[in-house]
Order: sequence, then C-alpha cells, then structure tokens
Amino acid sequence: MKRETAWRLFAGEYNDSTVEIKGDGEMTPSYIVTPLGAKVNRVFIIGVLTDVENISEGGDLVRAHVSDPTGVFTLYSGSYQKQTTEALSKIEVPTFVAIVGKVRTYSPEEGTIYVSVRPEKIMEVNADIRDKWIIETCKNTKDRIEAILEAMKMDEKNEFELRKLGFSKELSEGIVFALKNYNNIDLNKYVKIIQEALQYLTSSKETLPVFKKEEEEKVPIKIEDTIDEKLLIEKFEDLPEEKEQDFDIKSEEKNEESESKFEEIEDIVLEIIKKIEGDDGAPWDVITENCEKEGLNKDSVEEALTSLMDKGLIYEPVLGTIKTT
Amino acid sequence: MSEMNLKTHVDDIINALKDDSKGEVSREELEKELEKFIEYGVPIEQAKQTLIKKFGGLAVLTSSTPSERTLISELKPNQSSVKLLGHVIAINPKEVTVKGENRTIYYGILGDESGTIPFTSWGTLDVEKGDVIEISNAYTREWQGAVQLNLGDRVSVEKTEKDRLPKSAFEPKKVKLKDLRSGMGKVDLTARVLEISARDTDVNGETKKVFSGVIADQTGKAQFTSWHDFMIKEGDVLRINGGYIKAWKGIPQLTFDSTAIVKKLDKSKIKKDDLEVNQMLLHELIEKRGALDIQVEGTVIDIRPGSGFIHRCPECKRVIQNDECNLHGQVKGLLDLRIKLVVDDGTGAVGSILNRDITEKILGKTLTDVKNMTQEDILEKINNKLFAKTIILRGNALGDDFGTTLIVREAKLAEINVVEEAEKIVNELEELL
Repeated sequence: MKRETAWRLFAGEYNDSTVEIKGDGEMTPSYIVTPLGAKVNRVFIIGVLTDVENISEGGDLVRAHVSDPTGVFTLYSGSYQKQTTEALSKIEVPTFVAIVGKVRTYSPEEGTIYVSVRPEKIMEVNADIRDKWIIETCKNTKDRIEAILEAMKMDEKNEFELRKLGFSKELSEGIVFALKNYNNIDLNKYVKIIQEALQYLTSSKETLPVFKKEEEEKVPIKIEDTIDEKLLIEKFEDLPEEKEQDFDIKSEEKNEESESKFEEIEDIVLEIIKKIEGDDGAPWDVITENCEKEGLNKDSVEEALTSLMDKGLIYEPVLGTIKTT
Repeated sequence: MSEMNLKTHVDDIINALKDDSKGEVSREELEKELEKFIEYGVPIEQAKQTLIKKFGGLAVLTSSTPSERTLISELKPNQSSVKLLGHVIAINPKEVTVKGENRTIYYGILGDESGTIPFTSWGTLDVEKGDVIEISNAYTREWQGAVQLNLGDRVSVEKTEKDRLPKSAFEPKKVKLKDLRSGMGKVDLTARVLEISARDTDVNGETKKVFSGVIADQTGKAQFTSWHDFMIKEGDVLRINGGYIKAWKGIPQLTFDSTAIVKKLDKSKIKKDDLEVNQMLLHELIEKRGALDIQVEGTVIDIRPGSGFIHRCPECKRVIQNDECNLHGQVKGLLDLRIKLVVDDGTGAVGSILNRDITEKILGKTLTDVKNMTQEDILEKINNKLFAKTIILRGNALGDDFGTTLIVREAKLAEINVVEEAEKIVNELEELL
C-alpha cells in the first residue's frame, strides 16, 4: 500500500476543515479535505509545544497543543502510541517540536467535525528548522490557493486537467472535492495566513517568550476521538459552564445594574487583551478562553468585543485577531 | 424532429435495453413516450437516458449518430462512449480466470496521429497487428498514473481502410526521455550516449553481440539495449527512430534492432554540460514509479527499522540476524552501517536507502569511530542529525507494489536561505492576486 503524504499545513487551515472522506476498512484510509483542497491523512507540523496534559487516570492518554503562527493544533496520544505518549510527557514546554501524525476527527453531531492529530513521531527541534517549516508550509499553502484559482477558471472542475498543470493527483482530487463541498472558500483568509506566517520570520519574532503567554492559556477543548476520552473531557467542560450559568442568573436578577456591569466586563476584556496581545495581537479564541477563566460567559465577551470595537478601543488587524489601539 | 430521426433514437433505446431489460416494452410505447418528452422540450439525449433507465437498462448514452472521434492524446480517465480510429501496434492474448472461469482477454497498443494508448479487450477481438480499426463505445480508466483504454461488452470494433488515418499515425512518435513509458509503441528520440558496453548472448544457439548502456537528453535519462551493431560510441549524439519502450520497476528502457534508423548527429546538439541531473517532485516520481539517476529534495520524516548497525553474511553480504544466514547457516556476521529513510516533500513520500559510505559522510563519522556505540545511541544520533531536516538525494528510483525506493548515490543536507525564500513567496503572492 502506498505511503500517505505528510501534508504541510497551518493550523489556521487544518482547523477549518469540515469535510471528511471516510475509508470503509483498514485498506482504505480516511481523509479530511481542507478548504484549500489538501486531502490529508498524515501531517507534518512544526510549532511550539505549549502544554501537555494527562487526561486519563492511568496517565496513558495525553492531550497536547502545538502552536504555529496561525493557530493551534490539538494532539491526542494514547496507550497505542506508547513512544509518542512517553516523549510528550517528558518534553519540557515550551519548546519547538516536529511532529509526524495522523489525522483524527471527532464528530459530536452530524455536520460538525473537529480535527486533531495523533502523533506517530515527535522530536524537539531548533528555531531554524521551524523557520524552514514555515517557509515550506507557506509555499504549499500558496500552491493550493493557485490550484483552487486554476480550477475556478475551468468550466468543469476536472481533476485530470489540474494534473496536466503539474498538480499532484492527491491535490487535484482534493481541490475538486473541496470546491464541491465548501461554499465560498475564503481565499483571502488563507493569503492572510501566509502573510502572517511570513511576518513571523521577517521580523524575527520567533523567540520563545512570545509563546510563553499562550502556554498559560487553555485552548478550547474541542476534539476527542474515543468515547472514554469524550466522557473524561465532558467532566472538564462541566466546570467553566457552571460558572457561566451562575453569572447569567445574577445578571438577569440585577437588571438595573446590568449597564454598569457591562462596562465592567468591557474593562476586564480589554485588560485581558492587553495582557496577551504582544506585538501581533491576540487570537479571538484565546481571548474568549481567558475571559471564561475570569468567569465571563462567551456571549457577553462577544458583546464586549463588538462594543469595544465600536468605541475604537480595539481593532481586528487580521480576521480572528484583536489588537488594542 | 423527423420521423427517421425518431426511429434511430428509438433504435438506440431498444439496443441499450436488449442486454439487460427485465420486462418487454413495445416499440410503439417507446415512441409515444419519447415523443411526449420531446414535446415538453426535454433534450433528446436526456430523454433517451430517462427511458432506458425506466425500462431497466443501463442508463448510458449510446448515440447512433456517429459522434466525432476522440484523438488518443485527448483521452482522460473515466470517459465512457469513446469513439476512436487507430492502428493496432501490438496485440496479445492473455489467459485469465474470472470467477473460476477461464477466459481469454486481449491487450495491446493502439496508435493514431496524436499518440498511443494501451488497451485491454475483455471479449474476443478479431484484429491483427497493423489493422486500422474504428472503435466505438469504449471506456477509459486510470492505471498506474496513465490512461488505459478498455473494450467492454458494449464496444464495437470494425476494421477499416488504412488511408483513413493520416500517414503520420504510422510513424514513430517524437518523444523526450522524461516522457518515456512502457506501451508507447515505436518512438523517435534524440539523445547522447553516456555509457555503452557490449556483451555476448546466446540467441537460438547463435552468439550475438548486444549493446547496452545509458542515454540522456535535457529532460532525463534512460537505459538502452541495441540488438544490432550501429557502431555507437560513448559521447555520440544519436537520433534513434523506431525503438520501443519497456520499463523495469519504472525505469524506462529503449530497445531497438536493425529495423531502427540510427543517425549520428553533431555532438554539439546535446552537450555534455547541458545534461544536469534532473530534479523531480516526489509526486511526479511516484506517478512514474521509478526513474534513472534523478535528484529529489524533501524532509526526513521517518528513520525506518533496519537503520543503524546491521550484520551481513560474509559470504553473500545479505543482511542477517543473530549470525544466522538463510543461505549459509551459522556465520560470523560482518558489522555494517546504513540508514533507511522516509523522505517527504509535501507532494509525496518515498523510501530511501543510504549505504555505509553515504551514512558515514552524513554523520561525519566512520564506522570505526562509532562501532562501540549501542544500537540505541547510533539511532538517536541518526535521528538528531536527520529527522525533520531537508535532504537532497540523488540516485536511481525503483518502483514496485510497495511504493518507490531511492537507491541513494549522493546525499546532502539542504541549506535554505529563509529570508530570501520569504521574499520570493511575498512576490509570488502579489502576482497571484
């Protein structure tokens, strides 16, 4: 059987994937297809390992996060991946790591898919290698954008015509599939992702302290791939949710105070952004996550962000990233 | 629509239903239904398809109005109802067992003025090499990265006059070395001879000199075998017209004999300096299965078992375990060092084998330097040196059912200027939008 290609893609593209090609047995592998047509079964990522957490009692299931300039990959490694599970538990965070891994998906309901990575091999690497990965990943992402543009020019999206232009069989299939299954692929978003990633290099901000802040944050819990694990994680999710409810009830009770209360929320949100934005701004989901830790619920954070934006206290330099003015 | 036309369309439907229709349907009924569709402005082909489906046939369009023939070079995988005109370059029967039943299928090569294509006929095919035939209702599939023509149950094959094909259809195809594939039919190419050697073989009790070696043009390299003494010397630039192509593990081999026309050209036509090693993307290499002397660049994403220290049988040099050779029994194994890598460039992945010489160069240490290390330590050293690094490999690529493997002749780690590359991408992005 043919070895699956290890795709280079940014978290910003990977995590946007919502379509899957399910293999129906051991010999037919499963893939996810990203909005840019990468038909992925295996990935090669390099980023900052920000946290590793035991999420089972025996300690043989760990969850870890790897951050690249565009977002965060979630990793799960269990008892069947003894080597990587052990390696993950030993590595001191934060540090640059290179990972070869398999695509995992979790679909809590029809039409919703969360993607994660099950590492096959993981090793610490240095910043130079990480930079090279960013370059390579930018190139490959750009190639996919090009392929999408070429396919859009065709009257009939055709895998064979794409291959004649020099795109690989896998990518050509993925592109045709993506165009069929995603409405309005936002190419600009991915162009921006490339630009953002390149800025990381050219301004040589790839020093570790920038990431240390992120390490303290918990990235949203989203992805599980076994039922046992799911149950475990639901336990985790219980805690913050209770807090949110508390807050809602209180705010409803004290309707009068709600106005001043809202300003208070805005202040908290603004402070949090200032704390984590650095030079590149703070990712939207990281803000939300931090605010939730402060006891705010998601909706009021959204509201506060909109209001702060209206007031001109914050802006969105790149979609999904917030900076103070 | 004229009455005549309606009749032929109904004929088509009846034809399509003949094979697998369950219930009988009368001609009158079909005519009536088809007329109704036409009244409502349903396109004729769609109306026919609907009716075929309705009465239990395979809903595939079979048009009796002769459609334009397709040129072989324009064929794509998964086309149906293909109409072709071509001459049979080769045809061979083959015994196969389908569901416990013995059957004879035929495979061969068809050519027209645009190119050649391998075909398989699943039924009896009464044609001979050299015949010009008209094929309709064939279909195409993909096989090992190339389009393949299939003549199935619904196909019709008719012999026709030779002069319906332009003369150029019978001439060898002009090709570049990188495009060589087995099943191309006769080819016409210009290349420089890089290596040549002669050996004697026994052909039907007669000793014959066979010449073989390596040829190259600006696009790639290939092996060749000549069954006739054309007085070829190393460094000659030749136009070889009338050879045919076989492939071994994806490596193309040109074979020709006295029927070929071999002309010596001016040596400046292909200069030695123009023949750089050809760089390939891994997906290109994998789609071709193999290649002779190429260069690839990719990231080391795995170091495979079987790397590090190994032991070889002192007799046969095979890799052995526990000093036990399958052929020579208990032996004292010789210590050796090698690396088996998986290299991936984001478009595909190949395996590669680095022998002791290359391993020593990459590690900057000789076997003697490291022989006291444990297997674990040497593997860690290899991992630290290579994992996630970009490597440039040169060698021969061999393809089989388990994928493509590069037998490495030269290896070096790549230097990448990050800032320069970043600027290049910025510029390319601007052009894109």
